[in-house]
Amino acid sequence: MRGSNAVKFFSILVITGILTWIAAFGSFAGFDIPGAKDIRPGIDIQGGVDAKLYAITEDGKKPSEKDLDSARFTIEKRLDSNNIFDRVVTVDYQKGYVLVQIPHKKGESFDPQKSIEEIGKTALLTFQEVDETKKNADGTYIPADPTKEDEKKRIILQGQDIKDATSEPSQDGSGFQISLKMSDEGAKKFAEATARLVGRPIAIFMDNKQISAPVVNEAIPNGTARISLNGTPANEQKAEAKELAGLIKSGALPFKLEAKQVNNISPTLGSNALSVSIEAFVVAFILICIFMVGYYRLPGFIAAIALFLHTVMELLALSWMHITVTLPGIAGLILTIGMAVDANVIIFERIKEEIRDGKTLRTAIEVGFKRAFSAVLDGNITTIIAALVLLKFGTGPIQSFAYTLLIGVILSFITAVTATRLMLNAVSDLDIAKHPVLYGVSARLKGGKANG
Amino acid sequence: MVNLYTKRNYFFILSAIIILAGIVSYFAMGFKLDIQFEGGTVIELRANKGMFTDANTQQLQTQIAEFVTKTIDKPSSVQKSAAFDVNGSNSSYDVIKINIGSENTLTNAEVTTVEEAVIKEFKLTSDDPVISEESVEPFIGKEIMQNGLKAVAIAFALIIIYVWIRFRVMSGLSAGVFAVVGVLHDVLIMISVYLIFQIPVNESFIAAILTVVGYSMNDTIIIYDRIRENNRLLRKVPLPELVNDSIMQTLNRSINTVVTSLIAITTVYIFAKVNGIVSIEEFSFPLIIGIAAGCYSSIFIASPLYVMWKESQKKTKAVKA
Repeated sequence: MRGSNAVKFFSILVITGILTWIAAFGSFAGFDIPGAKDIRPGIDIQGGVDAKLYAITEDGKKPSEKDLDSARFTIEKRLDSNNIFDRVVTVDYQKGYVLVQIPHKKGESFDPQKSIEEIGKTALLTFQEVDETKKNADGTYIPADPTKEDEKKRIILQGQDIKDATSEPSQDGSGFQISLKMSDEGAKKFAEATARLVGRPIAIFMDNKQISAPVVNEAIPNGTARISLNGTPANEQKAEAKELAGLIKSGALPFKLEAKQVNNISPTLGSNALSVSIEAFVVAFILICIFMVGYYRLPGFIAAIALFLHTVMELLALSWMHITVTLPGIAGLILTIGMAVDANVIIFERIKEEIRDGKTLRTAIEVGFKRAFSAVLDGNITTIIAALVLLKFGTGPIQSFAYTLLIGVILSFITAVTATRLMLNAVSDLDIAKHPVLYGVSARLKGGKANG
Repeated sequence: MVNLYTKRNYFFILSAIIILAGIVSYFAMGFKLDIQFEGGTVIELRANKGMFTDANTQQLQTQIAEFVTKTIDKPSSVQKSAAFDVNGSNSSYDVIKINIGSENTLTNAEVTTVEEAVIKEFKLTSDDPVISEESVEPFIGKEIMQNGLKAVAIAFALIIIYVWIRFRVMSGLSAGVFAVVGVLHDVLIMISVYLIFQIPVNESFIAAILTVVGYSMNDTIIIYDRIRENNRLLRKVPLPELVNDSIMQTLNRSINTVVTSLIAITTVYIFAKVNGIVSIEEFSFPLIIGIAAGCYSSIFIASPLYVMWKESQKKTKAVKA
């Protein structure tokens, strides 16, 4: 082995080792780096609920993006208050639904399946005068109890009094604010209250949880008000204004949400599937390595190292890119290890042919890689096209499959082509590694007929 | 050397038989759509140990179905299936599978009602008897299915364009067209297998088709790539022989690639089958068929067809001259 080749060979081994360490333990040299354990499992693996809440309008019109966002903010706020932070809530504006995914957690009293429609219910939104002497432990005001006559008086506005709430850049341009439009009746009530409460706060509650408590600067007679976010750093104001506007609007959304597609999987079923897929993965990996070593000998062994590197890199890629891995995703992962060695098969077959044609080992390897490359490239691009289309058109579990397929195929260029080439070049310099039998070519064929 | 080209008709006939069987099944039984595409509700509950015996299974199924129908006033059917518990006891357990047709898809509240009523009435005692529930309104199913079909069409179009651009050297368009014919063949075989065995069609099936489209194209391209290379090197060799040589030279590779991919996906299939993980089983099975068909069609269908086309073109030219 020549010096520089030896260095290359061992650096690949070292890199493989380091990446494996990271994937296995999620840290390296004292730094926390996400590993395989940090991969986000899908509902079908972890167990949990996956529901599409469709916005049903009375006139059948498509709800606006803003209103759908408002529904999403409401749902997220409600999940927050149930301490469910591990979840996915996304909106499909085209089709008009909010997708909610909540994994099951052991020992949680909150049953997401039963409450999935509760989560999407129209919010109880109120603007209230507050008793400034009484506060919750976290510094928020206590909402009025509408069953008590004297407290009920404190409620100034309710959901239907708000016609619209929008986030907009503030006048001085430094940040963002929320602009409110009230109905005629709401405007009257608000004018009366603000005249009375100048210098004091009006708290806004959603489902009896305070979401904001702006202080009244002056009486607001015309039913349009602005809430500025002076307490918030300027760079966070845009997001906060949007969320707060959405939440304020939530009390008067022109649609109701109905769960039209619900999928609930128990955690036991999910974890069963996971352990089975992992076993299948290990077995498939070992079988492919045995096949490659058995058929291609030395290059096959190197391909097995490259395949291991491939697996580790793919796991890390999934972890780092925060891709949710579902059962089809794992199937894709296993399929790609089968497909990743394809490049090696193409190249090694080519090398064998070149050896049979009477080329020296060194030239055969060189030419083999060079000639096989266009075939490898062409073949993988069609798979990439298929994966990209799936990514665009598929729903959750299938998108996960598309991701694992896509990442797998792209990584195979790094491992099956580049890494294998470096390692094979390095090893083939060794005298003991020069025998054609090690490349799966029987000695008597060497220099014999071409085109088997 | 084996001459595959002269034996091409055998291969054409074999494929035709499978596809024909598929067509017959289509008219006899039609597609079996999964609830994901058709809509409807499926609830799976864990049965008590010893609840189902060989003798009472039929009767108990009917009894549960009638009870469900009574509870929510919607027709239902019940099937007993089995699942395997890998984690704890390593034993299998029975599953009560309640199906409700797409025209009667349950609301979320109805799902809960059914579950609670059945658990109470039939005294299901395991910790959390609800294994899974899936409810899809028919209109969503239709939407997902249309999306899937659109995806297949678009992927096809894109791949044809790619093959065309890449293979202009060897009279691009016709090469591309026959590569696509080969892939169409694989898709037809996959669809036929689904029809013959009445496997439910869902989004996994679409994903499997697209994967096979990409994969099979890959196989064909490898052979075409060799034809392209030989075309430059051996200008005097007649085309049928050149194509045959190219196939034989790449045969090892074609077979080995399929072997490694099949090892991977078949392992998945066997593990899923043994452990009763239906979703993975349904996903891996069409992939096995498709990958095998993909290799087969590149060697035995797409390349011979390409030669036939080229030869017939030559003849027409000769006649004109």
